[in-house]
Amino acid sequence: MDTPLREPTFLILTALAGEPLHGYGLIGEVAALSDGRVTLRPGTLYGALDRLVDAGLVEVDREEVVDGRLRRYYRLSPAGDATLGAETERLRRNVEAATARLRARSRTARPLAPRTAGGLA
Amino acid sequence: MSNLERRYLRLLRAYPAGYRRARGAEIVGTYLDLAVPGRRWPSPGDAGDLLRGGLRQRLRAAGAPDLMPGIRLAAVLAFLTATSLAAAWSVLELRPAPADFDVPTAGPFVSLGIGAWIAWLLAAVVHALSPGRWARRAVVLAVLLTLALVPAAALTGLPRPPLFVLLPQVGLGLVALGLPDRLPTPLRAVPLVAIGSAGLVAADLSPAIFGVSYYVPTAGQVLPAAAVALLAVVLLLGAGLALRADQRGGWAALILLTPVGLLALHPLAGAGDGLPDTYNPGWAALAATAVAVVLVGPTLLPLALAMRRRRARPTEHARCPTCDARRT
Repeated sequence: MDTPLREPTFLILTALAGEPLHGYGLIGEVAALSDGRVTLRPGTLYGALDRLVDAGLVEVDREEVVDGRLRRYYRLSPAGDATLGAETERLRRNVEAATARLRARSRTARPLAPRTAGGLA
Repeated sequence: MSNLERRYLRLLRAYPAGYRRARGAEIVGTYLDLAVPGRRWPSPGDAGDLLRGGLRQRLRAAGAPDLMPGIRLAAVLAFLTATSLAAAWSVLELRPAPADFDVPTAGPFVSLGIGAWIAWLLAAVVHALSPGRWARRAVVLAVLLTLALVPAAALTGLPRPPLFVLLPQVGLGLVALGLPDRLPTPLRAVPLVAIGSAGLVAADLSPAIFGVSYYVPTAGQVLPAAAVALLAVVLLLGAGLALRADQRGGWAALILLTPVGLLALHPLAGAGDGLPDTYNPGWAALAATAVAVVLVGPTLLPLALAMRRRRARPTEHARCPTCDARRT
């Protein structure tokens, strides 16, 4: 799987890092993790899960039938764990670098020169 | 089974049969879990999601998962070409024949074409501000206005750009309808930069060469040059991507062959009429070549897909694509 991961992929892996989840649970967890910014629809979610399973990052954990509906639970594979860890570390370093630059910028920023009272008149 | 479930199952037919049997219950179950109580019809968004998902799975089953990215790449390149040409044609439109030339004009412009070219330039602005849905709508409008030039000229008796200028523009516009929803900010502005560059180059040309009319040698040279440039860019991009095992460039090249053929109508028709040296094909040769390009070009894609499908594993449909369990 190409890195850096796209945001929905990163959020799906992050959601599965907690505990195995089925499709409905994953959609809710991704929405919660992103503060509602990323709302996956089932067609999109299962397409993404297919790619992640193909890449060996996600595995099927178990299947259940609840109220006559099939629920398949997914979990993070060891390779998925490593990929999520590496991606998180990459993002963390980026955030740290950006934070340090912004701090330095705010320290060195000169205050605006006070305007001459009465202007040029 | 509720009406809602039955309707979701009907939409699920967008997916390949094997995938549907293996995953249909899970997908529909998730939709039903998400549905608010009392809902009877899938939302348009859900329908679009299922249709897109089905198309993706069919492409995977055909061994062509790179086709959708290829369509998006082709769309970006087609849009870039279409807007650059529109910029060049806009410059030409501002150079009508002097009054004593006795050449018909559309007021201060060479022809009615200026209306369509402005729509293309506005589409580039929309693309820079809001790519995705709004950019695609702007492209639809530009294509419709380009097509409308033919009846408009017939009704008003005013001149219009020749069909060999309008046809490739429409072909590029149809490919550009696959513009992606998201693009990095610098890429959004590329069409505007290309417009500026094309406009400057066109403005630098002498009005005697690039003005008064779209006919000789204007379109005969500008359009083939655009064809060569577009083909070279997509082939180079495709070769670069193929080095990273990314096949989208190949699909993009296949999709762009039709507009490239329409852009290269003059040299193709010139070669076809057996008089390549004269480089002045007649109307019949141009029309026959255009028909051949329009008929042959779009069939290449399904042909390539069929060949890919034949090479794909025959048992692929019989497996659950996620858990890899065999279906019984």
